Amino acid sequence: MDTLFYSLLLQLSSIAAGIFFTEKKKSSAASHILLLAGLITGFIAALTALINSDFTLKDIQMFGISNNLFRFDALGLYFLCIIQLVAIPTTIYSYSYLKHYIEKGKSVRSNLVFYAVLLVSTQLVVVANHAIFFLVCWEVMSTSAYLGMNFEKGKKEVQTGSFYYLVMSHVVVFLLYIFFFLLHNQTNSWLFSDFHLLSGTGDLFIVLYALSLIAFGMKAGFMPFHFWLPRAHPIAPTVFSAFLSGIIIKTGIYGILRTFQFLNPAPEWLGWLVLAVGMISAVYGVWYALAQHDIKSLLAYHSVENIGIIGIGIGIGFIGSAYHSIPIQILGFGGALLHTLNHAIFKSLLFVGSGVIYQNLGTRNIEQMGGLVHYGKYFVVLFLIGSIAISGIPPFNGFISEFIIYNGFFTTAKELENYYPLLMLISAVGLAFVGGLAVACFTKINSIMFLGKERKEVKHFKISFYEYLSLGIFALLCIVIGFYPQPFIGVVNKVLIDGFVPAAPSSSLLNINWQLLSIIFITVIAGIILIYLWKKSIQKKYGRRISTAWGCGYEGLNPRMQYTASSYADELNEISKSVLGYHKKVIAQNDIFPAKGSFESHSDDLVDKKILLPVFKSFSEFIARIKFLSYTDIRYYIAFILIIITIYSLIAFLWS
Amino acid sequence: MQNILSILFCLSLFYLAVTPRVKAYVAVLRFQGILLTILLMVPFVEQFSVFAVILPATLFIIKVIIIPRYINKIILELDIKRTIEPTIQQFNFLLLVIFSFIVIFLASSILSLTTNIETIPFASGFAAVTVGIFIIIFRKKLIVHVCGFLVLENGIFLFGTAVASDLPIMIEIGVLLDVFVVVFLMGIALNRISSTFEGFDVTILRRLKD
Repeated sequence: MDTLFYSLLLQLSSIAAGIFFTEKKKSSAASHILLLAGLITGFIAALTALINSDFTLKDIQMFGISNNLFRFDALGLYFLCIIQLVAIPTTIYSYSYLKHYIEKGKSVRSNLVFYAVLLVSTQLVVVANHAIFFLVCWEVMSTSAYLGMNFEKGKKEVQTGSFYYLVMSHVVVFLLYIFFFLLHNQTNSWLFSDFHLLSGTGDLFIVLYALSLIAFGMKAGFMPFHFWLPRAHPIAPTVFSAFLSGIIIKTGIYGILRTFQFLNPAPEWLGWLVLAVGMISAVYGVWYALAQHDIKSLLAYHSVENIGIIGIGIGIGFIGSAYHSIPIQILGFGGALLHTLNHAIFKSLLFVGSGVIYQNLGTRNIEQMGGLVHYGKYFVVLFLIGSIAISGIPPFNGFISEFIIYNGFFTTAKELENYYPLLMLISAVGLAFVGGLAVACFTKINSIMFLGKERKEVKHFKISFYEYLSLGIFALLCIVIGFYPQPFIGVVNKVLIDGFVPAAPSSSLLNINWQLLSIIFITVIAGIILIYLWKKSIQKKYGRRISTAWGCGYEGLNPRMQYTASSYADELNEISKSVLGYHKKVIAQNDIFPAKGSFESHSDDLVDKKILLPVFKSFSEFIARIKFLSYTDIRYYIAFILIIITIYSLIAFLWS
Repeated sequence: MQNILSILFCLSLFYLAVTPRVKAYVAVLRFQGILLTILLMVPFVEQFSVFAVILPATLFIIKVIIIPRYINKIILELDIKRTIEPTIQQFNFLLLVIFSFIVIFLASSILSLTTNIETIPFASGFAAVTVGIFIIIFRKKLIVHVCGFLVLENGIFLFGTAVASDLPIMIEIGVLLDVFVVVFLMGIALNRISSTFEGFDVTILRRLKD
């Protein structure tokens, strides 16, 4: 375990490297090398500890008082592994990302420092055992992410977006303080390892769950609280948005799972609540994503969708725990845990990919891209792997975790009978619907961005070795988990047995015939390759006819006449127009000589535009109205204080 | 003994309520410092220990010697006028103080029935806090505000001795240090303000608002 501490120290030392080297290039290189070294050693240490079931409390003496600050249990180590695993390629990408800015002569020091602080504090969050220590790390994590987000602080959208994030994190921390103080009040301890409350505690149990679900759910981005994601992700530097979407929102999931460890078994209605919230997040997350034009906010909404899928898994787990059914819990929580890992991987891949595109084209608008396949063939393949994985299509990792959740549905239906089969059927259909919409969304971005002709002139499209390396690692992980999931399933099973269902170890997760799945996948892939080769041979024989994309025989096609992202998604967006706030503005004349026309389509977030902004607007109006109370003379304030104290002491005096 | 000192303390508060001079405020502060020092020394007549003398000694040095001198120095340097510039009539102020004294003494005597406090020091401390706040509210001059704050702090000190006879020594010393720093900062601020604005009313500070 000491290796872990040294690895953290190594990562922290990268801050010093970033600060003390005067030359920008050197400082960036040194700092990234140190970070990578720290992350890799840490990852190896954490992984070996997880595999060897080396779960300990780390006792650290401070001022002679021992205060179990760290706890390396299976859940913490699992999340630690995810963080480090995803952080390694992201850091590799970060090097090449910052190189662009260094070439432009911009100072990247702040970025280096905040990125390192963010990494270290996030790793500490998941292994913290002391509640106050946890809160401190949590706060450092949120603040450093906010500061890192403000890299291009000259832009107005950056300011508003990061402000959304800052306010959200403060609300979260405020709720978490109440949550942990209440827990401390009940258990007389600050240690996570001592927090245990039985469901017989009455109202407090519900209050604690509500606090935890709102606070951690807000961080994770469940549906009513998702408003900050599409605001904060697009404006952050790509490294931060990849990390934010891949890791930071997962700390919310970590929090909810920890809460379950403190307070179990969960009541059944809570399971249904989480399941319903997860389902709504998943469906509307992907639907909102479909209506976006900005690639990063599209990916942000996809984070909402995937968090929703994780929420569905957790909901199933809660239902299982209410009925003390071990297989259901294993499948529900197992699916959620594995999807957490998977989503961290493919979402980071897609964000890094979108960052590469943004870096080269200077735009995030999908409508202005096109034909990129002619510039970076391998890049497109890597991006495609991420897209297929996130849509949950078989050979890759997204499918594996969704498959476990589907299994959870069917096991619940089988075990609990009664009206459950029907409800579970509806849930399964819902999840399938989500998958369908995700496919629609990713066919949209892949086809519009990569295929066809370029809509805006591509001046240069260069992908550096580090970017390929980073994307390659992510894609490799997607493929490995997809084709050979057994070791990963084994690890998840270990986490479950250690932390969630300590009773009789059940093997319902391992019992799924994973080998069969692998064989099927390999056969399918072999089939695809065979067909490709066959196509090649035919092509050789008869030759290949090349014409313009979407041309349909018309030769004078210009790029503006191509199929667009808006028109692709329009049909689907029309279906739930009111929720998506989807509206179009068409200016066209049907005269003989057509004048200049234009078309716009927008989607406004329901929670953001219809709830949050009006509420805050009326609040600021109210504040403006009571402004006459604000005097400029300090004596009035002291008089106010005196009056209030007198009233309080009178009450206290008369009370006793 | 404690009661006599406390009553003397209260009398000094009455004097504060009627005097129109800034210098008198400083003198009263010095007097209160001496009273508090004696109050702290009383228990050591029977039982002497070097360590326990630290607090009275620091108190004496800070409250009787350093702070009054410092305030006098500021008054001289900045050429502050000697009247205190009240915002209400002195007589009304005295009435207010008397009224609050009555309420406080009644309340503390009722409280002392149920709780373990020494009535007169408790009430005097309480009264000093109130009078200190009144001074801040009803006077315009900044230097008088500083004096009011110091009276308030003296009240808290007396309060502390009445409620718990053995408040940890470190805390008392910490409070002393606090007060010292605050007065010091006020002095610096006054110097700065004097170079920017004409006069030392808080009303002028309105112009500092954003």
